[in-house]
Amino acid sequence: MTAHLDSGDQPPRPDVPRIDAGEPVTQAAHTGAPTSYDQLDDHELLRMHVAGNPDSFGFLVKRHRDRMWAVAIRTLGEPEEAADALQEAFISAFRRADSFRGDAKVTTWLHRIVVNACLDRIRRRQVRAADPLPEDEDRAAELAGPSEEDPAEVRERRLDVLNALKQINEDQRAALVLVDMEGYSIEEAAAILDCAPGTVKSRCARGRAKLLPLLRHWQTTRASDVPEESAAEAVGTE
Amino acid sequence: MTESGLPTSEHLEHLDTDTIADLIENLLPAPEAHRAREHVKACPECQQTYDALVKLSEDLAEEGRADIPMPTDVAEHLDAVIVSESVLRASTVGVHSLAQIREEPRRHLPKLLGAAAGVVLIAAIGVGVVFATKDNANEGAASTDQNSPPADAVTITTNDLGPQIQQWLEHNPGAIMHGSAAEQACARTFASGRPNPNVRLVQPAKIDGKRATIIGLQGGSPRDIQVFAVTGCSEPGGVASPFYDTTVTLRNR
Ligand SMILES: [Zn+2]
Repeated sequence: MTAHLDSGDQPPRPDVPRIDAGEPVTQAAHTGAPTSYDQLDDHELLRMHVAGNPDSFGFLVKRHRDRMWAVAIRTLGEPEEAADALQEAFISAFRRADSFRGDAKVTTWLHRIVVNACLDRIRRRQVRAADPLPEDEDRAAELAGPSEEDPAEVRERRLDVLNALKQINEDQRAALVLVDMEGYSIEEAAAILDCAPGTVKSRCARGRAKLLPLLRHWQTTRASDVPEESAAEAVGTE
Repeated sequence: MTESGLPTSEHLEHLDTDTIADLIENLLPAPEAHRAREHVKACPECQQTYDALVKLSEDLAEEGRADIPMPTDVAEHLDAVIVSESVLRASTVGVHSLAQIREEPRRHLPKLLGAAAGVVLIAAIGVGVVFATKDNANEGAASTDQNSPPADAVTITTNDLGPQIQQWLEHNPGAIMHGSAAEQACARTFASGRPNPNVRLVQPAKIDGKRATIIGLQGGSPRDIQVFAVTGCSEPGGVASPFYDTTVTLRNR
């Protein structure tokens, strides 16, 4: 733990953004036969889209929408806003797919477009200033995802994090989601957020300090699930 | 509290959570960072907060790796928007209503389902509009034997496509597979992405003056055939790009 005392920027996690999000089960279920679109990788689908195929981009969207929804809903907090941001992002990606550089991951490219669409909305919202978004409590259960898809504790934790994130300042939230949740480095996050690396660090630090009391019960629960990592009980460790 | 031998002033006040979070991010000036570090080492309570903040980052990272299923209504609307975008791109005339629907402010997500259906409907009308204009160019000129398609490209208009295919398939109970192997493979690739990938017909064609491929897929029932006219399959390594589709119902099955 004390190693973190002198640690600088976190190295980018190699596993983020993820690319392994599969086709939703429903798609395969009613076709019966294996569809070859499923077997095409992201690059191939995007290449076909640029070449004029009318369907391949839709498959790309289906493949990655749950990942991108996670990014948008965490960053924006409100499902309406998240849905609008994703729509903008995917239309933008659809139209400028020919600007995609083949050496990058399609998910990295998509991810970046989604993040930018979310940040645009935050900036526009900040310009409008006194325009608080209405609470939409009815959506809470749905936000946690269909109950048949994930165990109750997964959905509960997801909701806890979403609700806690909603309670902190949106600049801090955006920085925290990028760095802690999406695994961007401080420098990458600074470039995306168009601010100094020190500002990103500061927003992350203050965001974590605010989130801590909101998620402490969540941490304690998880710590008891994983006894060897029971940080909450580890009093006075080096 | 003083068993560590540090000056008692280090223990007089606990660090607040902000300071500890700043310490973790190396944001404190050197002297303050040193004092804070010494305090955390000596104070179980602040060490606990320190550890909890580090753990919070780890937990957020773990949570961040999990996807969140997109709500069904949002997903359906998004699909419809992408379809409309595809139609818009494929069309040569502007379909302004699509853009209007997309920009329309939405008050409540539950309404999206209806909006999505609207987009799909207009998307279909959009295709109709586009090809209605192209249909004027080349009238008539169907093949001589109306009951079976020729092995090479048949000349036809989109107006005649549905009735003609109905006639062919009613007289040919098996699959009709014409065109080069590459053209048929292209058609099968196209078919594999559709809900009903069972290919009943591949036919090279010249439709409204342009080289195209007609693809017939088994519909939801054995009597229903989904017909697509696509470009792209006649070129080597090409990708099917549909510009017209219709459904015909066979009378003798
Ligand atoms: Zn203390």
